[in-house]
Amino acid sequence: MARIGVFICHCGTNIAGTVDIPTVVEAAQNMPMVVYAVDSKYNCSEPGQAAIRDAILENRLNRVVVAACSPWMHEKTFRKAVASAGLNPYLAEMANIREHNSWVHNDKQAATDKAIEIIKMAVAKVSRHEELFPKALPITKRALVVGGGIAGIQTALDIANAGHPVVLAEREPSIGGRMSQLDKTFPTLDCSSCILTPKMVDVMQHPNIKLMTYTELEQVEGFVGNFKVTLRQKARKVDHAKCTACGLCWQKCPEKVDSEFDLNLGKRTAIYIPFPQAVPPRPVIDTANCRYQKYLDFTAEGREGKAPPKCGICEKICPVGAIDWEETDELITEEFGAIVAATGYKPFEPGGYTELGKGKFADVITGLELERMMSPAGPFNGEVKRPSNGEHPKEVVFITCVGSRDKQRGRTYCSKVCCMYIAKHAIMLKSHDPEVNCYVFNMDVRTVSKDYEEFYEQAQLSGATYIRGKVSKIRQEGDQLIVRGEDTLLGEIIEVPADMVVLAVGMEHSEGAAELAQKLHISYDVNGFFVEAHPKLRPVETRSDGIFLAGACLGPRDIPETVSQGSGAAAKVCGLLSQDFLTTDPLVSVIDKVKCAGCLLCQDICPFSAIDSETLRDGRTVSVVNESICKGCGLCVAACRFGAANLHGFTQEQLLAEVLALWE
Amino acid sequence: MSQIENVHTKARELLESQAVDCVIGFGKGTTGGSRPLFVYGPEGVEDLIFDETCAHNLAKYLLNRKGKTTAVVLKACDARAVNLLLSEHQIERDKVYMIGVVCPGIKENGEPRDTCLRCGQRTPVSYDYLAGEPEEATVDAELQYKGVAEMEAMSMAERKAFWEAQFDRCIRCYACRQVCPGCYCDECFVERLDPLWVGIRIAPSENEMWNAMRAFHLTGRCIGCDQCERVCPVGIPLSLLNRKLEKEVYETFGYEAGMDPEAAPPFATYKKEESLGFGE
Repeated sequence: MARIGVFICHCGTNIAGTVDIPTVVEAAQNMPMVVYAVDSKYNCSEPGQAAIRDAILENRLNRVVVAACSPWMHEKTFRKAVASAGLNPYLAEMANIREHNSWVHNDKQAATDKAIEIIKMAVAKVSRHEELFPKALPITKRALVVGGGIAGIQTALDIANAGHPVVLAEREPSIGGRMSQLDKTFPTLDCSSCILTPKMVDVMQHPNIKLMTYTELEQVEGFVGNFKVTLRQKARKVDHAKCTACGLCWQKCPEKVDSEFDLNLGKRTAIYIPFPQAVPPRPVIDTANCRYQKYLDFTAEGREGKAPPKCGICEKICPVGAIDWEETDELITEEFGAIVAATGYKPFEPGGYTELGKGKFADVITGLELERMMSPAGPFNGEVKRPSNGEHPKEVVFITCVGSRDKQRGRTYCSKVCCMYIAKHAIMLKSHDPEVNCYVFNMDVRTVSKDYEEFYEQAQLSGATYIRGKVSKIRQEGDQLIVRGEDTLLGEIIEVPADMVVLAVGMEHSEGAAELAQKLHISYDVNGFFVEAHPKLRPVETRSDGIFLAGACLGPRDIPETVSQGSGAAAKVCGLLSQDFLTTDPLVSVIDKVKCAGCLLCQDICPFSAIDSETLRDGRTVSVVNESICKGCGLCVAACRFGAANLHGFTQEQLLAEVLALWE
Repeated sequence: MSQIENVHTKARELLESQAVDCVIGFGKGTTGGSRPLFVYGPEGVEDLIFDETCAHNLAKYLLNRKGKTTAVVLKACDARAVNLLLSEHQIERDKVYMIGVVCPGIKENGEPRDTCLRCGQRTPVSYDYLAGEPEEATVDAELQYKGVAEMEAMSMAERKAFWEAQFDRCIRCYACRQVCPGCYCDECFVERLDPLWVGIRIAPSENEMWNAMRAFHLTGRCIGCDQCERVCPVGIPLSLLNRKLEKEVYETFGYEAGMDPEAAPPFATYKKEESLGFGE
């Protein structure tokens, strides 16, 4: 027989201001199976919790209803209080008479009546509660970091330094990410490669890090502490175990193609490393462009006509015989306890801004293209030249917010870094050539981190002219571009002649972000950025346990913020991997094998892939819930026609008892 | 050869080669008409008939032969029932041999069934062997949803009164459930005592609950064989209710149960453009 205690909270005046507490206490005392009912100013306070504990012991209570706030707020608190009296914590139930009642009503009489009904339902439900016990599961103490940019590098290094093995997977042939394409970094103007390369080398040399470049995530199974991940090692056609990175192959390869790393401003060979400091310093063969591969494909398909020339120079010249034409994509399955997605961003593609003429006028370039021009290791050896005629530009116009803060084009967010990189470009151009004049068309300048405002001032002092207003049109006159825009401070339309126009393009989600999110069962927002578990308090976690986030895959970030997130995610991973066992929440679904007819609809519906099937000895196939994956959402319960699925803590019996209590 | 001769030949071949243990088909009824016939050996195949009296949906019997090899004679609607059971993992494809027959339209007491008048599908959508000459399906949505529009035109009060009058006659014999190929729970919700979803007494509220829940459990799953209506001893127009729900499902999700065993049921899929019906 249930002996229920009801503890009614005033929550100061939050509840007591709208609900007549003595009436509610009296009503609760007369509810079926209630042997004790009392009020408290604050149930959640230490004396409030002590009162619950003492009342359980004195009155031999075996069920508890706390009528107070939302379970989101204090369910854990009261479960602990109940457990401290020796009762199973899941024998407590909360009746939400604050958010669901006092906060949304003014009529005291009606709110009092409603509080009584809410408590009545909770009493009926708790009488059907059962003891529930969490389970302990072992943890695979290894982490996977997806994405080898500065976010992934930092995350991997921090986890590895804490003593846990890490696999760092990167889909490009080298780690380094966007940061490796930059020339200098704001606001200190130190060289990007100089500060990044040592970290890349650390990754390569770290005994706890296994680096897997040219690798993509194929499939994720399992759950927190016990993920099973399939990775696709793309065919490199080069045996990296043999290769000594002597560089003969990429020096001799006759096929020259546009370099992705240099944003097509320069050339690379078909067998290549993307940039000189690449890690690992081992080449891959770009099979779409390799002459010998084309010849192989031609003969393999038995096509008619003239065969392409049989090249194979790299194979002939390689002193260690590392070229392997037989190599194919390889699927590798590994187990991990935690996964960090650090997949970064891609620069906004400004083709849609036709008025700015990107693609039409050669001298309209993006900020990242200017970075490659400025980079001493870049295609122009650090010389900024006009793509149209190779001359040094003297008049340079910058246009901010291209692909950012533009409601009309459905791109509402601020990309955060553009204001600062323009300031950097202006300073750098001036230092390259003091005769350069920079004009910056801007909406306003955002400088919200440490030393950023000072850096912006430095840009202005170096001579950059900031014009507040938008650009409406760019046209060609002679060999110059005429930038027409509004100066909103003067209230005039102005025209600025320019040798070169730099578009400060914003950040966009990386290629394939949505597909990755689906594989990881994490959410992404309308802009394609991944969604954190809580924007303020859980910024590097996701709603899927064991999956963490770092860097620009969450939204526009600068390098300092990205690095701190990498370290933050690493701390979360280490916190998880330092435990020996995981305890699972017992509020999960359970499927009655007798009632289940095995239609398996629940498997299709479950958003967490938590349901497997099992064939019983009598030959029937039934669904089984994996308790460590189940989040207790209850979709399977709603979908099950057989009534075989039931949610612990919210069983059909409990819910029906709640509803029926309203009619009593 | 005529269609039934083809059925005989195929059934004999399957039983002689022991490809199947049993052929489920139609036999002559004891009081005229037809009855389901289970043939376990080649000697019985001549007893199989197929004509316009063969009203039963034999797919239901496959549920009793799980794990055993069975051939079954299927009209167009019956084949959709097999597809439904396949998509719900109730039977295994390699254990079932589908002998399709081209349906002439079933008559009862010499009159064509309403269902068959509405149906444009004479040839089964799926089969392993087709005994007759295939005929093109004709699609006539107006005919298919005949009566539904009239019901939709009723006011809520009229509709309530209409169905109350229908359900008032229900004696809860559950014949509709027993005959339905989609009703295969080991324990039906009406027989559950805790929680007691439906009271045991025969009363309007409980009758309504049963009929509404039965229809809801079949939403997006009814293959339109109308066996439920055929066997109802008090003549409740259950097909009307089923077709209304199937129309809703078709219009919202573009899905028809039993047409393709591989198609994901609407419950298990989500498309961004789907209307949630709220918060929009």
